[in-house]
Amino acid sequence: IVMKDNKLRLIDPSEAMKELGLPEHKIRFTSTLALENEGTVTQTIDKIFNLVKKRLKSASVQHSTDGSITISDSVLIKVSGDDEESEKDVLLSWSYQDEELGSYLQRLLKAGLHVDS
Amino acid sequence: LDSKPYMWGDINVSAFVDNLSKQGITDIKVEDSPTGGRIVHLTDDDILIQLEEGSTHIICDSDESLRTKIRDALVKCLNRL
Repeated sequence: IVMKDNKLRLIDPSEAMKELGLPEHKIRFTSTLALENEGTVTQTIDKIFNLVKKRLKSASVQHSTDGSITISDSVLIKVSGDDEESEKDVLLSWSYQDEELGSYLQRLLKAGLHVDS
Repeated sequence: LDSKPYMWGDINVSAFVDNLSKQGITDIKVEDSPTGGRIVHLTDDDILIQLEEGSTHIICDSDESLRTKIRDALVKCLNRL
């Protein structure tokens, strides 16, 4: 909530900082982990997508056109690797505002995809 | 899930390095980045922290306890909204 010219307004925090002349500082984390999953990169992405959707019922989980997964506003998951190899690289990136979500997803993915519950 | 506060201000690199040292992290190498910012490299764990005007990117494949130590050392250098 920002008060300006004797009026109260509800605005986005980034917008509020601009209006108040405060230089915003964005913090982002990126972590890459190896994940065991037989099958193609696309199949691995689909498995991660289904798992995340199942676990985070209230969050907005979306498939992007480039094959990555976005969650909430700031979380990004990308999978790379060789379709023939069982080990895939999973890149997970999140902002400080989504710290708890990012940290949770890191633990979830580190546990692997074999436990699908 | 709780969301974290929004942060503002600039990172003073030497204050950040001091905070890291206080957390027991001492393998610190600071370099200039090609984009005009600074890169803090934690050589033992191969962690990169890219400090730019208005943003910091922490690239860390290491364990969660080390990542949270770096996060806390960084957040101490900033103001919260």
